[in-house]
This record gives sequence, C-alpha cells and structure tokens, in this order.
Amino acid sequence: MPVIELSYSRLQKLIGKVSKKQISDSLPFLGLDIESEDKDLVRVEYSPNRPDYSTDFGIALGLQGLLGIKTGLIKLNIKKSNKYPISVKSNVSRIRPFVTGIIAKNGKIDDKTIKQLMTMQEDLHFGIGRKRKKSSIGIHDLDKISFPLVYTTINRNHKFIPLNSEKELNVSEILDTTDVGKDYGSLLGQSSQVPIILDERQNTVSFPPIINAAVTTVTTKTKNLFVEVTGLNKDDAEDMLSVVATVLQSAGFTLESVKITGAKNSSPKLESRKMTVNPLLINQILGLNLSPSKIISSLKKSRLDASSKGTNIICTIPAYRFDIFGPMDLVEEVALGYGIQNLEPTISPSQTIGKTNPVSLKLKSLDQTMIGLGYLEALNSSLTSKRVLYDMTNRDSTKLLSVLDSKSREHTILRDSILPGLLENLSRNIHESYPQKMFETGTVFATENPISEKISFSGISAHKDANFTEIKSIIQSALNIGFGITIETKTATDSTFEDGHCASIILNNVSIGIIGKIDSKVIENYKIRVPVVGFEISLSDSVLKN
Amino acid sequence: MSQVFHDIEKKIITSLRDNPKQTPESLEKSTQLSPDQIRRGIEWLKLKDLAIVFESKSSVMSLGKNGIESFEKGLPERRLLNLLKDGPKKLSDLQKELGFVFGPSMGLARKNNWVESSSDEISIKNSPSDLPGEKTLKLIGTEKLSKDKIDSTDLSGLLRRPDFIVEDIIKTKEISLSDAAKSIKISDSVGDIDVEAKVPEVFVARTHPLKDTIDEIREIFVTLGFSEILGNMTQSSFWNFDALFTPQDHPARELQDTFYLDKINAKKIGTPEQIRKVSESHKKNWRYQWDINEARKMVLRTHTTCVTIKHLAEKKPDETRIFSLGRVFRNEKVSYKHLVEFNQIEGVVVGKDASLKNLMGIQREFYKRIGITKIKFWPTFFPYTEPSLQTMVYNEKLGKWVELFGMGIFRPEVTKPLGITQPVLAWGGGIERIAMLKYDLSDVREFYNNNLGWLRSAKKCQ
Repeated sequence: MPVIELSYSRLQKLIGKVSKKQISDSLPFLGLDIESEDKDLVRVEYSPNRPDYSTDFGIALGLQGLLGIKTGLIKLNIKKSNKYPISVKSNVSRIRPFVTGIIAKNGKIDDKTIKQLMTMQEDLHFGIGRKRKKSSIGIHDLDKISFPLVYTTINRNHKFIPLNSEKELNVSEILDTTDVGKDYGSLLGQSSQVPIILDERQNTVSFPPIINAAVTTVTTKTKNLFVEVTGLNKDDAEDMLSVVATVLQSAGFTLESVKITGAKNSSPKLESRKMTVNPLLINQILGLNLSPSKIISSLKKSRLDASSKGTNIICTIPAYRFDIFGPMDLVEEVALGYGIQNLEPTISPSQTIGKTNPVSLKLKSLDQTMIGLGYLEALNSSLTSKRVLYDMTNRDSTKLLSVLDSKSREHTILRDSILPGLLENLSRNIHESYPQKMFETGTVFATENPISEKISFSGISAHKDANFTEIKSIIQSALNIGFGITIETKTATDSTFEDGHCASIILNNVSIGIIGKIDSKVIENYKIRVPVVGFEISLSDSVLKN
Repeated sequence: MSQVFHDIEKKIITSLRDNPKQTPESLEKSTQLSPDQIRRGIEWLKLKDLAIVFESKSSVMSLGKNGIESFEKGLPERRLLNLLKDGPKKLSDLQKELGFVFGPSMGLARKNNWVESSSDEISIKNSPSDLPGEKTLKLIGTEKLSKDKIDSTDLSGLLRRPDFIVEDIIKTKEISLSDAAKSIKISDSVGDIDVEAKVPEVFVARTHPLKDTIDEIREIFVTLGFSEILGNMTQSSFWNFDALFTPQDHPARELQDTFYLDKINAKKIGTPEQIRKVSESHKKNWRYQWDINEARKMVLRTHTTCVTIKHLAEKKPDETRIFSLGRVFRNEKVSYKHLVEFNQIEGVVVGKDASLKNLMGIQREFYKRIGITKIKFWPTFFPYTEPSLQTMVYNEKLGKWVELFGMGIFRPEVTKPLGITQPVLAWGGGIERIAMLKYDLSDVREFYNNNLGWLRSAKKCQ
C-alpha cells in the first residue's frame, strides 16, 4: 500500500483548530495506518481505493470531517470559461483516445506543495492509472502555454525539450534514453505515431503518457496551472481529474473549465451523483440502531451530503469518491463517521455445532501415533526447488510443476513428494545427536486435470544401525494401530533407494508407497554420515479414501 | 552427611588430601589410574565444584641443531680463540680449520676486541674466560629446561642465532581441592549411586510447534461453533481473484505478487451462470473487458478466502459458521518476517442477524482464548469486503500495536453474482504471526528450518 509523509504543523494549518494529538489519534480511524513518526513528520499508509488521501490536502479534508470541524460534501466550484479550448483529432483514437483537463488559478505553490503534488501524481499513475496504462496526468504552468491546444498524434522524429532535460530530443530518443521512456514506452506499442498535445504555436506541451515538455515545468514561481489527463476510457480519465481538481481547490486554487471537442471527447463535468440507502440495511449490517438524523450526521462527517426522503436516505457523493459502488459502501461511510471506536463488540450465541474436518482428525491421530513411535514432526514448504526434489535424490524431473518468476530460488517447484525435504532436513542437522527420526504429512502435487492434490505421509530414520526392518516395523505399526490396516511389502527399485533394500508398500494389491534404505549416492550428496531408511505413502489413496 | 563418589573420584580426593597441588601426571602415579580415568574424574569433580583446575602455560627451552654442535665442540668463537691460544695464526689457515663458521666468529671476535690483526696474521688481544651464551649452553645441554631457570641476558644472544635454541610452549594443569572438598565425607558404602549427579539429556518426540498453534486455533473455532472445510492450494484465478471482485488488472494479480503455475490453465472454472454474472459485475463496476482466459490461469492461492467463497457459492447456506485453515502463497523475498508460504485461518458467519459488531465480538473472543486481551479495531480496505476492519493487538515486547487479522462483510459485488443472499461476515489472518508471539521467535523462517536444536528444545506449553 502507498505511503505518504505528512507534517503535523502543515496539517494543523490546513485543518483549523486542532492539536497534534487529535490528529495522530484520528489518522487510524480514517483508515490511515501510521508507519513511523519523527517529531513533526508522520508517515502514513493509505488504501489504494482512496487516492484523495495521496496528499495532505485530501487528508486534511477527511480529518476536518471526522473531527467535526467541517462536515458535508466538498463542492467543486468550476468557473465556466471559453478561453481554454482543446480539440481532439481522430487519429488518437487508436492509441490513447481521451483527454480531459482543468485550469487552476491564483494558487500559492511552495516546495512542500510541489512535493505533495508530485507524490499524488505518482500514486495516481501507479494505482488507479495502472502504471499510466489506463490514465495519466500532466500538470503544467498555464502561463507558458498559448491556447487553443490540439491533442493529436505525431511521428517519432518529432523533437522537443522534455522535462528535466537541457536539450532537444526526438520521441525515439526519449523512449530509448530517459527512465520514464524506458519504463512506459511499451504502452505505445509499435505504432509509428505517438500521442502529443501541442499549443497554438505548435510547441509541445505534453507527450502522454510519458513526459511533459520542459517549458511548462511547475516551480515555486508558478501561479496558474493547466492539468491534463489522458487515458483509454473517458470515465477513468475524469475520475483521476476529479481527484486532482478537489485537491487543487482545497490547496487554494480557483478552478476554471477547459472546453474539449472532437473525436468523441467532451468537456468534463465532475458532477456529484445521488444514491439511495435504506437505514434498515445500515443498522442491520453494523448491528446498531441509529436514527436517520444520526446516520445523516455520520455521512456528513465522512464528507458526503445526505437527507431523508420517506424511509430512505438520499446521499450525495462527490465525483472524486468513485470508490463508492453501492449502498454497502455507504454503510462503511456511516461506520467511519460514527467512529469505529464507538462500535462495541458483541458475541451472539452460536446456533451451530462446530466440527473438525474428518481429514484433520485422521491426520491428528496419525501424528499421535508417530510421536508414540518416537518420531519428531517436521514441516517443509510445498513450494521447494529442483535441487531438493530431484537433483539431490536422483529422481526423475520430467514432470516437474514450476511457478513463474519466483523471487526466491529455493521456492520454484511444487513438491510431488515429501521424503526429499526430510532428507534435506537431515543434511542440515548432521551436527546434532543421533538417532534422528522425523515424519511429515502434507500435500503433494501432480499435473492432472489440471492439478491433483493428495496428502502424503513420510518418515525417516537416521542412525548408525538404521535398517530396513526397523522402518518397516514403524510403518506397519503406525498404519495398523492408527487405522487398523495391514500392509505388505514387495521388492521394488527406485532411484532414491538402494537396490535390494527397497520395496513397494502394498494395500489390497495396490501400491500406495515406497520404503527402503536410502541409496548411498543420495546420502553422499547430502554429506550424511550414517545410514538412512525411510518411507512415503499416499494417505489420499489409502486411509483417507472416502 | 556423606556423599557418594565414584571410585575414581575417591582415589583422586584421597591423593589430593595427602598432596594438595598436583598435575594429572603426578595423580596418575599416586592413584595408579589411567590418564583417561584421571581426566574424567577431574571433570566430574570440577562439575560438582569439588576440584579446582588451574591451567598455566610455560615456555621450555632445548638446544637446536647448531646449539647441540656448539654444546659438543664449543661455540664457533670459542673454537677460534682456542686455535689462537698458542700464538698468532695466518688468516688462510684459520679459514681452513673453521670452515663456514669462520666468517661470523671472526666478525664477533673483532667487534668485541678479543682478537687483533696485523698484516695477514690474527692474534688474541683480550680473551674472556666465559663467552656470552656458554653458561646457558652448558645449563641446557641435551635436556629441556623451563625458561624461568635460565639467565635471560645470557640466553638472549643465543636466541638470535639460527637454530641454536628451540622454544616450546607447554600447558600444565594444577589440580587442587576446593574448600568444600577438603571437609566432605566420603561414603564407604558400595553400590550407592550419586543421585544428585547430572544425567544425559534425552529428546522428546513431539508435534511441530507451529502445528500445535494451528491445532489450538482449530480447536477454538470448533468450540465457537465453526465447522472446518478443506480446499485446494492450487486454484484458478477465477476463485482466487475474479469471484472476489479483484479486477484483472489489479496489481495484486501481477506475477511479482502471485505465483502462477507455468503453462497450466483450468478447463472448468465455474458454472456458466457464475462466470457470466461475475464477469458482468466486473465490466459494470470496474469498466474493462473481462477476459475468461485470465480467469483460467492457475495460481497458488494467495488466501484461503477462495476456499470459503467457493463453498458458499456451492451450498448457498442461509445460516452457517465455517472456517478453513491451510497454506497460502505470496511471491515475496524470503526474510525474517516474510515467507513465500505460510498458514492462514479464514472464517465466515452467514446469517440474517450477522453484523459488524458480531464480527468484532467473535474476534475479541478468539483473541481472549489465545491470551491476547489488549486489542482494538481500525478501518482498512480489502477489495472484497465492505465495511472492512483490521484488528490491532498490543505487542508488549515491541511496545506497539501490530496488525493481526483482517475482517469485513463480503461486498454485494462478491455475493450477488454467486447467488449468496445473506450477509457474510469474514475474517482471516496469518498463523505464523501468532505462533511467533507464542514461541517468542523473531525470525519466522525458523518454523520451516526443521533445526533439531530448536525442535528438540522448544517448550511445549506457552
């Protein structure tokens, strides 16, 4: 989850009369986990469904509501204007079809505000923008741009000075040499044309979704902003714009509209919407008995507007709260406004009778039996490596089941057997005293429609006198005492076991496993200095069957 | 009261009472015991605080090859002086007589003014009776001698000469009785054993400590009226993600967070109705083209929620309490706090009276039973629950609140497409975290290392 750094003193200025302690006590109840604190600075983690919390401006709005300082909906005041037209050419429709935007005027921008805006931009790109694929933002110094603008495409030889560069580069050079070019260039595919926003003088404003032009860079001297959002879907682009517009308005800017025309594009409305919710649902889900007026005041504390209409409540939701899908989301807004700390946990008597799964019961009984026989339980990962599963034990690896792109080399293959893991365990314990006797039960995997999962049981004994008879006695007793079944052994060969000391375990004429003395080459591979005997049987094919 | 001793111990104590400070060698002689018996006896007495062993190092000198030659024939400079005793001699004659020691011995004799030279003849000028080093040579002879018995100024010249003196460091042990041993009564009865002596350690066969915690948690939920269900660890993306309202382009579904099985896709992922309704919910709410092939991709389950939702979609109970417990997977770098594979408990309550307050009540009861009483609830976000909360428990050792289980009520966007009509309370969380608190571990990897040193010593009851 994304993390942002906040300053208590700056938040206090934004919120109004509030103490530092009130802020730090309230942050978690807004859904913001405090990661770390250092004097005036606090780092909080916010949920990706609340991109408005990617700046301290947005968090201040939330805290004002929760603390009852300012409640109700934050209305966007957008002055209608015809001075900022953007026309869209149809050639963008195949690459990145939509553009939207807004003008923000007369704001004060200090270093901290620039930092907040940049973090917001990055978080929006990463989260709801899906790494700029769905939608991406450019924030520009309005006074460096002369309208009208055109959103069109251009070929890869087109040159301009990109942000953070001193010299002109063409599009191909930007994609090949800059970090953002390398990270996001693939979003443009192989097309010879790329999206571009040009101003009246044919100067480049932005090359979405990659980079802005250097000329429009926002600095502490900037007063007026132009924000553009481009994307694959009009609604997604406007969602992102609504977050930026709300944040800029609360940062003290006055908003003015841009006029967008052409190729199925139109000017953004950023309007609030209405949703009906029944108080019965709210009270049922929360386990409370709140009056409609309490529900309304709670919703207002969550910075929404609400009013009663008959037995229902009509809620007004601002554009930037696109995380609200339906009435259940409003239930959560009521809970937050009411205060999670005010919900008293209650336990209702159970109407049901609990039951352990029969498989767990049988496995637990087997554990008890093995402990009685002096075996210690081991636990290994199901996701292990080719080395452990196949190479060290000379097993056939042609049917291995691997996962993609594991970050850990030790965890790449799903186990089809438990015994190799136990052998690996012995090799890591050669300095501990003998005898060493261990067992494990667990899931093993095989490719079958698409994957079969069976429960397997393996045991191993290592000491200077370990022999076949000993280990056969163990499995024989474990199965007989534990499950009342009698097994037989029949000569077999297996690459992990020594010839002449290896057998299949047979139940009702069907092989359910293997038993024997571990082959000396395997023991050598693991540098174990005592003989080892072991077995593995499929419980799913025997005692757990039906 | 008298104490029972082994025969070996008795003999050693008796000998030391006669002769209070001895070496192991002198004890061998006085007790007629073997070196091994003496070694063991001293060790036993030491463990009982009856014997004191004082170890010291000392340096011993003997003569090297050149030293022995000089001991036998005299130092080279002495041989030179001896040749000149009867009057001056020619340089070339001396060279012939002394061979390769001529050069160094001449140098030394000139430097010390023992000889003088005129034209090509050498004669004695001032011959001392004792040359430096001669005393030491005689003293050591063919024996070994402790360094502190040798005059160090006389020795120093010899030490500078190659292969004259060989120095060995030897360790000596001096054994004496402690004050307690001096007055202790030794029992004479034959056949008594030392019941106070330490005994060898034996190891208990036991279930794995993590398994004990898992069993304990299972037991608690069963007594709270929950029934256990099982499910596969390999799941289609449909049940692990799509059915839980996680959009197909959600970051959690990327290769870098989730383990996908190489080239394995599920043929049948759900009923046609389930697939249709789930895909419609995604298209409507997340605004994208839902792709069935993405839903077919097999993953290692990232939570056990896929097992419970599948169960609910199949049975559609009006009222139930179920839980599932098992391994889940995340594609993470393994570290002291992260594993790629760990255990999760996941429980749900279905019923028309199920509420968020009940859900919190069940959590509080569960934590109470595992001994955690300081808890609180904070809001949080999960893609498939609304409202969503997390439990924070106070960790006394760290002195801070830590996150434990997540919980919430399944979103209508999850339940409706699957035909589940009643509210579903759900919660879940990692078990290793709880086990770490119980076993006081700071490295989660220890649970899967199967290190016998730890498994054989971890305390059963916490």
